[in-house]
Amino acid sequence: MNSKAYRLVILSLYVSMALILSYVESLIPLPLPIPGAKIGLPNIITLVSLLTLGWPLTLLVVVARVLLSGFMFGGGFSIVYSLSGGLLSLLVMALILHFTKDGFSLILTSIFGAISHNLGQVIVASIVVQTSSLMLYFLILMFLAIPTGLFIGITARELMRLLDKTTIFKRLNS
Amino acid sequence: MKKKEFIVITILLVISLGGIALFYIINATNQPLYVRVTSQGEVVTILPLSEDHTETFYTPSGGYNTLTISNGKAKMTDADCPDKICVKTYPISSPGETIVCLPHKLVVEVVTGNS
Repeated sequence: MNSKAYRLVILSLYVSMALILSYVESLIPLPLPIPGAKIGLPNIITLVSLLTLGWPLTLLVVVARVLLSGFMFGGGFSIVYSLSGGLLSLLVMALILHFTKDGFSLILTSIFGAISHNLGQVIVASIVVQTSSLMLYFLILMFLAIPTGLFIGITARELMRLLDKTTIFKRLNS
Repeated sequence: MKKKEFIVITILLVISLGGIALFYIINATNQPLYVRVTSQGEVVTILPLSEDHTETFYTPSGGYNTLTISNGKAKMTDADCPDKICVKTYPISSPGETIVCLPHKLVVEVVTGNS
């Protein structure tokens, strides 16, 4: 199998896994009266994808996941919020990984990704409802993003440790 | 966890918790509080938070949100939006707190007398 086809297989696997994680996440209601608070399970895939495929292909993974899960599990309008959060989060995480190269911390990348995901959503929500009073809401979401981002970061780090022992990614760059 | 990670996480926790605390301190007031209802970016009504009251707001597309004020707290008790996020939001009673119904573009916020 050539490298291009191999990359396509990995890419499709990421999209389907992220999609399933979105679904699993929608089945777990957080016992918090804060709208929009989520664990961020699909971000595990985004992080692994960023580390193995790089940001241009990860952009595809994020957009495909958001559109598909939006059409399948969410209302039509929820796509706009998920997309704005997902894209800002991806941008921030890709920049952190780019500028910290070797000494990067997956946990911190994950936490900053979670916070910027919330920021993207709150910005779009503020524009949609034409209000500037969502500051408190963002601060609460930011506080919640720290434990969830930590959890996702640790999970992604352990997953990468296991995946690095396999030969799955060896053929990606050949 | 490495030391660097621990430090950054602590800083972020302090920023968010400090921000929330600061928000409540800055907005603390003894003035009478009101509930401002905004739909599609325009103020629909302003209700005193001290009086018990129930009102239903209709959107141009025919949806509705029922707001209930009781014991100095405002809560969205019913709505026909798809996600029901506004109904799940905690009751609000301090200045600056908000309940948002994104599908209906409805914002309910607690404001002080002069704003």
